[in-house]
Amino acid sequence: MGEDDEEARALLEGSPGEAGRGASAVPAVPGALPALCDPSRLAHRLLVLLLMCFLGFGSYFCYDNPAALQTQVKQDMQVNTTKFMLLYAWYSWPNVVLCFFGGFLIDRVFGIRWGTIIFSCFVCIGQVVFALGGIFNAFWLMEFGRFVFGIGGESLAVAQNTYAVSWFKGKELNLVFGLQLSMARIGSTVNMNLMGWLYSKVEASLGSAGHTTLGFTLLIGGITCILSLICALVLAYLDQRAERILHKEQGKTGEVIKLTDVKDFSLPLWLIFIICVCYYVAVFPFIGLGKVFFTEKFGFSSQAAGAINSIVYVISAPMSPIFGLLVDKTGKNIIWVLCAVVSTLAAHILLAFTLWNPWIAMCLLGISYSLLACALWPMVAFVVPEHQLGTAYGFMQSIQNLGLAIISIIAGMILDTRGYLVLEVFFIACVSLSLLSVVLLYVVNRARGGSLNYSARQREEIKLSHAE
Amino acid sequence: MCGREGPRRGWGRCAPSPLLLLSLLASAAPLALLGEETRQVSLEAIPAGLDPPQNLLHIRAVGANSTLHYVWSTVGPPAVLLVATNTPHSALSVNWSLLLSPEPDGGLTVLPKDSIQFSSALVFTRLFEFDGANTSEATQPPGDPYPPYSLAKFSWNNITDSLDPATLSATFRGHPTDDPAGAFANGSLAFRVQAFPGSGRPAQPPRLLHSADTCQLEVALVGASPRGNRSLFGLEVATLGQGPACPLMQEQRSIDDEYAPAVFQLDQLLWGSLPSGFVQWRPVAFSQSQRGRESALPCRAAPPHFASAHLPQSPIVRAFFESHNNFCAFNLTFGASTGPGYWDAHYLSWSMLLGVGTPPVDALSPLVLGIMVAALGAPGLVLLAGGLFLLLGHRRWSEYQPIN
Repeated sequence: MGEDDEEARALLEGSPGEAGRGASAVPAVPGALPALCDPSRLAHRLLVLLLMCFLGFGSYFCYDNPAALQTQVKQDMQVNTTKFMLLYAWYSWPNVVLCFFGGFLIDRVFGIRWGTIIFSCFVCIGQVVFALGGIFNAFWLMEFGRFVFGIGGESLAVAQNTYAVSWFKGKELNLVFGLQLSMARIGSTVNMNLMGWLYSKVEASLGSAGHTTLGFTLLIGGITCILSLICALVLAYLDQRAERILHKEQGKTGEVIKLTDVKDFSLPLWLIFIICVCYYVAVFPFIGLGKVFFTEKFGFSSQAAGAINSIVYVISAPMSPIFGLLVDKTGKNIIWVLCAVVSTLAAHILLAFTLWNPWIAMCLLGISYSLLACALWPMVAFVVPEHQLGTAYGFMQSIQNLGLAIISIIAGMILDTRGYLVLEVFFIACVSLSLLSVVLLYVVNRARGGSLNYSARQREEIKLSHAE
Repeated sequence: MCGREGPRRGWGRCAPSPLLLLSLLASAAPLALLGEETRQVSLEAIPAGLDPPQNLLHIRAVGANSTLHYVWSTVGPPAVLLVATNTPHSALSVNWSLLLSPEPDGGLTVLPKDSIQFSSALVFTRLFEFDGANTSEATQPPGDPYPPYSLAKFSWNNITDSLDPATLSATFRGHPTDDPAGAFANGSLAFRVQAFPGSGRPAQPPRLLHSADTCQLEVALVGASPRGNRSLFGLEVATLGQGPACPLMQEQRSIDDEYAPAVFQLDQLLWGSLPSGFVQWRPVAFSQSQRGRESALPCRAAPPHFASAHLPQSPIVRAFFESHNNFCAFNLTFGASTGPGYWDAHYLSWSMLLGVGTPPVDALSPLVLGIMVAALGAPGLVLLAGGLFLLLGHRRWSEYQPIN
């Protein structure tokens, strides 16, 4: 154990970033805090948790770079909204396919450690190419950059979850998922509020606005991806070390994707898919296009528009773990989903048809978005046998990405030709379709005596009776 | 589901609705003659028989019991007279020799005089140009001004050439008479005037809703060489005040940008209390003939102020209103130092409506209403049906419960 202690101490003394660079360079100090170094102890797991959280920070920060710089991108690259939204569509396209293979690649090809590092590299390279597209004034290069970024982005999230499961299964797993989500949202929030300011600073130092300014701004934003890559490297090292000490297996997604399972999917599962797609397409593309909406319709300054556009993420950061706990304790998932969808519908109606202060609607949207994420995703596990769970989640993410890619383009087109009111009405229609599916799901579930809407106590009782 | 639809639509118009209500109430009483669904519109160029030709375009819109006269002219600076009468038989009479004399008072009259319910005028006096580089957004004026072009010193084409009775439109196209720098060598400033027999909406943005009581003006600056790399243009418009005050400039926020994407505002100039005359425009101009969101630039309007002294005289206004000298002026500026601008394609266009009565108000389109009804109705219906189904199912189940 002596050797392990040394390594652990080295980790302890360096910040996460430094630890990756030179663990061996730090001298061994006997008698340092064993809790933080011992992979079986909570303190060490918290360190790992911190790394896991920062692992996703870069990709979430950069995902919404276009939204934060919407006006600048459109002006500097001279593109209309439809083409602008292609930046989001290109992110989603690779993930329509990759959602099925992300797990496979992690389990069978790369392993979790290399998989994470490779996906982080993709994210970094993608962001750099995206920025270069700006510097060289080539919009196609920006699109290509987003494509590469997309290849890494979603799979990195899968890897992050796999790490979480492997380190925290049976312990604080739900909380960890919640915290990871929070960190992702903080990344998005920081992006929304920082990039506009960063652009103006770069503009001031370069002397003029233009595609070069845009490119350099994005390149600076890419530093967050490097940070995430460093986290990936440190995590790989710690994970390997833990394997040696605890003889724990390398984390696996355990996902078995069998596309033929699709034909066995039940009606409730399909309804869950529809809820998911119709809901998310009314949130993410809206945020992507939101900044100009708030400046034009409500007369917000660019700074304030960025802030309000990020409020969904701001709220989501602290609320995700809380709602996660709430749903865990109460059960009744369908009712929670219903509440979330109805309040999202209300939020969009407020945004579309009133001139009320949009903070009200956006806060409502933020709360309902957090609630939906906590109540909807676990439902899949109740309607699918465990061996099909991987396929079901893969499929759900895949069609979500397909939906996002298509709707992003359509949203851009609607905005260019028909304006924000019709766009909002379109989003209302999407959410309403989602609401329709929730209601149907409730009815189907009641009629079939399904377990989706059981309270936590009922679930407990069923678990006990099964155990007997 | 219609019940759900009602109140929601109510909030939708939350901002303009009190005004709308007020104007609807007001319109019922004194000027019931105006606000006709359709009108018989005729365009006529009234020749002076002189050389160079003097342009006087008379648009006469006859309704069942009212007539509107729009008199557009480039005698002096481009100007329009707007006269509303309460008879379908009123007529315009022009005395050219008086009109072109130094004292044109009485050269233009609408007869019978006692049928006139409302009259006013707009005069487009000057075209401004500013250096838009290195200016912040909020400043007014938006940059260092270049010497303005006086539109009274423009020469204009013969209006009869561009008069199109089919579309009820005509175009005044002009350039400075004295242009030493050759800025307008390949360019022109055009005022396209169009009247309408009924209500509708043009296909090109900003797609202002027009009615039979309105007339549309499209100002286009095309091909003129700007004096700076990032020149912004502006227009000075003079008008007659009613009574002691200048006309009221009003900025209406709206929720509806369906016809002018991302423009949520409608600006209006109102003479006195509604309904009287009005000028209405969307605060947006376009920097390319293919008008769309990419070429949209903001249009800022400064509120009207008294400005009798420096304004060039318009003979037709003087001829009709005689000694009326209560002039107000307001400035419009197009574009900002960032974003699209005139420099993109040497093109700038801006549209406005001039009319009498209640200004047209955009209503939610059938597309929006249809989708909303379906979007809110369908889940509601399913909820209702599902609820009934479960209620009945549940009751049956609970009846059997004791037997088990």
